[in-house]
Amino acid sequence: MSPVRVLIVDDSEFFCRRISEIITSDPRLELVGLAHDGQQAIEQVINLKPDVISMDIEMPVMDGISAVRIIMSRYPTPILMLSTWTTEHAKTTFEALEAGAIDYMPKRFQDISSDKNMAQQQLCQRLYDLAIHSPKKYLSRLASPASVQVSDLTKSTAANRSNLDNISLVAIGTSTGGPVALQKILVQLPANFPYPILLIQHMPAAFTPSFAKRLNMQCQITIKHAVDGDKLYPGIAYLAPGGMQMLLKGTKDSPIIEIQAGQAGQTYKPSIDLTLESISKLCPAQTLAIILTGMGADGREGCKKLRLLGASIWAQDKQSSTIYGMPMAIAKAGLADKILSMTDIGHHLVRLR
Amino acid sequence: MPLDSEDEILQDFLVEADEILEGLNEQLVELESQPQNSELLNSIFRGFHTIKGGAGFLNLDAMVALCHKGEDVFNILRQGDRVVDAEMMDTFLKVIDILNAMFEETKSGQFPSPADPATLSHLGTYLESEDAVAVVVTPEPAALSKPNQVPDSEDITDDEFEALLNQLHGDGAPGIKIPALEKAPVSPKSNDDITEEEFEALLDELQGKKKAAAALVPEPTPIMADSEVLPVAVTTIAKVDLAAKPAPAAKQTETSVRVDTARLDDIMNMVGELVLVRNRITTLEGTNDNEEMAKAVNNLAAVTADLQNAVMKTRMQPIKKVFGRFPRVVRDLARSLKKDINLELQGEETDLDKNLVEALADPLIHLIRNAVDHGIEMPNVREKAGKSRQGQIVLSAAQEGDHILLTISDDGAGMDANILRQKAVEKGMMDEEAALRLNDSESYALIFAPGFSMKEKISDISGRGVGMDVVKTSISKLNGIIEITSEIGIGTTLSIKVPLTLAIMPTLMVMLGNQIFAFPLVNVHEIFHLDLTKTNLVDGQRTIMVRQKTLPLFYLRKWLASTFIPSDKPEIEHVVIVNVGTQRVGFVVDQLIGQEEVVIKPLGALLQGTKGLAGATITGDGHISLILDFPELMNTYANRGY
Repeated sequence: MSPVRVLIVDDSEFFCRRISEIITSDPRLELVGLAHDGQQAIEQVINLKPDVISMDIEMPVMDGISAVRIIMSRYPTPILMLSTWTTEHAKTTFEALEAGAIDYMPKRFQDISSDKNMAQQQLCQRLYDLAIHSPKKYLSRLASPASVQVSDLTKSTAANRSNLDNISLVAIGTSTGGPVALQKILVQLPANFPYPILLIQHMPAAFTPSFAKRLNMQCQITIKHAVDGDKLYPGIAYLAPGGMQMLLKGTKDSPIIEIQAGQAGQTYKPSIDLTLESISKLCPAQTLAIILTGMGADGREGCKKLRLLGASIWAQDKQSSTIYGMPMAIAKAGLADKILSMTDIGHHLVRLR
Repeated sequence: MPLDSEDEILQDFLVEADEILEGLNEQLVELESQPQNSELLNSIFRGFHTIKGGAGFLNLDAMVALCHKGEDVFNILRQGDRVVDAEMMDTFLKVIDILNAMFEETKSGQFPSPADPATLSHLGTYLESEDAVAVVVTPEPAALSKPNQVPDSEDITDDEFEALLNQLHGDGAPGIKIPALEKAPVSPKSNDDITEEEFEALLDELQGKKKAAAALVPEPTPIMADSEVLPVAVTTIAKVDLAAKPAPAAKQTETSVRVDTARLDDIMNMVGELVLVRNRITTLEGTNDNEEMAKAVNNLAAVTADLQNAVMKTRMQPIKKVFGRFPRVVRDLARSLKKDINLELQGEETDLDKNLVEALADPLIHLIRNAVDHGIEMPNVREKAGKSRQGQIVLSAAQEGDHILLTISDDGAGMDANILRQKAVEKGMMDEEAALRLNDSESYALIFAPGFSMKEKISDISGRGVGMDVVKTSISKLNGIIEITSEIGIGTTLSIKVPLTLAIMPTLMVMLGNQIFAFPLVNVHEIFHLDLTKTNLVDGQRTIMVRQKTLPLFYLRKWLASTFIPSDKPEIEHVVIVNVGTQRVGFVVDQLIGQEEVVIKPLGALLQGTKGLAGATITGDGHISLILDFPELMNTYANRGY
């Protein structure tokens, strides 16, 4: 297989060199070009047609977000933002994601791993995954209105067997591509949405407060950065804090959110599985769990337990997923009651009441 | 744990950050006059951001913390939430100073020590207005009418896209209206899409304008003076993979190779040797009639010259490296003196040898300070004299043949030759009569005499009477000369001429007795034959009149080849007029040989430290020739300060 062709966009020569070094160290990746600002990036995309782009945000002439917007509208290409993982810079990262960037990594590699080599491998892996797992088909669809297609998998899964009438809680878990997917779905919900929602989005700790704030501004329902001891109210979505674990405790009648510090060995902080497992001990039969776009298989184990105990499970379909990993894991394990496009998930949720 | 200062990544960072830091300095000074310039604010923000990024990569936490604060403050500034004032400006400049200090620490292989917390918290106070907009989300009761603020579209409109493409070609080209687009009917549907043909047309246009686009590619990283390593720009084609490259644009991938300066010095040295060998062969070839040989020698000469030029170029860096510090120097000085001064820089891109750039920094700072302190008057004095309140200082650099001309001119009060003469007498540097004999430019040159200060009060800026003589000495060391012109009430101009490079020197070869000596050509003003009977004795000093100017005349032979007794006494002798610092002096020599490019070799241990000799070289005919150092020579033999 020919290597994944990477374009690096960064105004800092220093960073260009560092990233080049990292990329050239991985035989699966090939560096095809550099650009030092957004305009050069667009030009290089047109000339070189890279498979994946690593993009800086702050640049002269044209910033990274504008460049992403233009590239995505004309030459859809998977873009990984290299951003600063601080609360103040969360906004720009979200803007980049809304503009069409698929994922983000910290510019400061220590933020993902104290082991530099490990961090660098992760960067390579992420670039590789983005190039391999984001089908151009999906990307080009970004520019045109989404067409709803039912995948073959839907037909193979069990018919809608569970009763959605006794639902009292919705839990949504997602990873790569999640920020935009969540926004698109939650924005459809009316302010008087009848159930509380638990949101588990893989995201660094520095970003979740801003993300909650941002969603809250965009949506009619209230989105709250969950804190320990929160009681659940209808029409409020509780976003799991980054770096922590959000568990549901208390009793079936008065559930309470418990926030636990993330443990060193845990892959995901927050972890969808852990939240879903805590729900399974409380009110599985009254729960609707939805797994959206993301890499890996977080949520599968949790859904397995929940479903055995009577929960309903929905998974996002392949076409509308930025990365069809986590939803695929659900579908392949035969856990999905419904496989829906991003837009349809919103429609179906609205119809729940 | 100490840093590995040899570490390539660290060096890489230092090179880039150093450059940014210098830019920040300039931009901040610029910002003071245009505090709302969003371009500037953005650029300063990015400066802090980029340094922070690199420092973060290398775990230079103190630097990260400081830049982080700086970045945050400028983020607010660029969003227009706050406007820079003079007080903030002082803080920012202090931050830059701290950053500079951190850089020095980093360069010397230490982790930078944390910035003084007072400065950090002071910077923090600028952020307070924003802190009020808390990031905390309070669980509002589910509002019924919350605005739906989802961005309406991820796509840009055609107009925007066209504008962008136009921008890509180079701004403001009105001719780039694309016919296909103009003809295109305005479609009633969502205007997010343009047809393939239209887009292709845009792209064709774009490709056609490659040249303009290429201008966007930044120049290779400029060479940094303070770093021990010079990046040498080398354009390479990244990886040749023809099948995968749809366009030749991949060749844009530019990269540089970093070369240790010591290695460049070695190469320069070897090229020097080659030049000597070439000179030798050229001389030998002159005695030979072989035409083939002549051709080959000519070829060798040409290639050697090219090689010499090429190597010299790798050592070149723009004088901007030095000039870049001056806006800040002038700004700080002017502020403390309560003067209003505008510094204009010209010819910043002029390239010269790295060693020269470094060697010129200190003398130029002295001269600039001097112009600010002594040259430009106080604003109200200027106003009374009918000048604008703001003084102008122009610093310019230009290449003139094989040397660089640097000028510093101010539109200040100018120098009064009479006061200078008087001062010289007061200081006991000369008697009144001698002082009166000085012409104006000789009087101006007095400011370079040791211990001569015009300032009544000694400030920490200038006026201590050291400095100007040091300036002259350092310029002389570079085989440079200084000239002063001044007009009372109009201003003063200092011109400095230095050779392009120090390694290879064009010289004039002369004979004294039976020995060859080399005069640095930059010092040589003119050569003529002189009827020695036409000289005069003034105060026991033999002088000659050259175009109504009286110049002292010396027999160089008496100083340097005193054992040689000429058999006959010719009536006509060769005189070489030489510029020494700010003075002209005539030297009688026995024979003129011609011009030759030489490589300076240090003197052997025996001769080391001999006054008046800059070094030695091997001439084309294989002899050893001594290279003269005129300022030293005059000091040693003429018993006069030059």
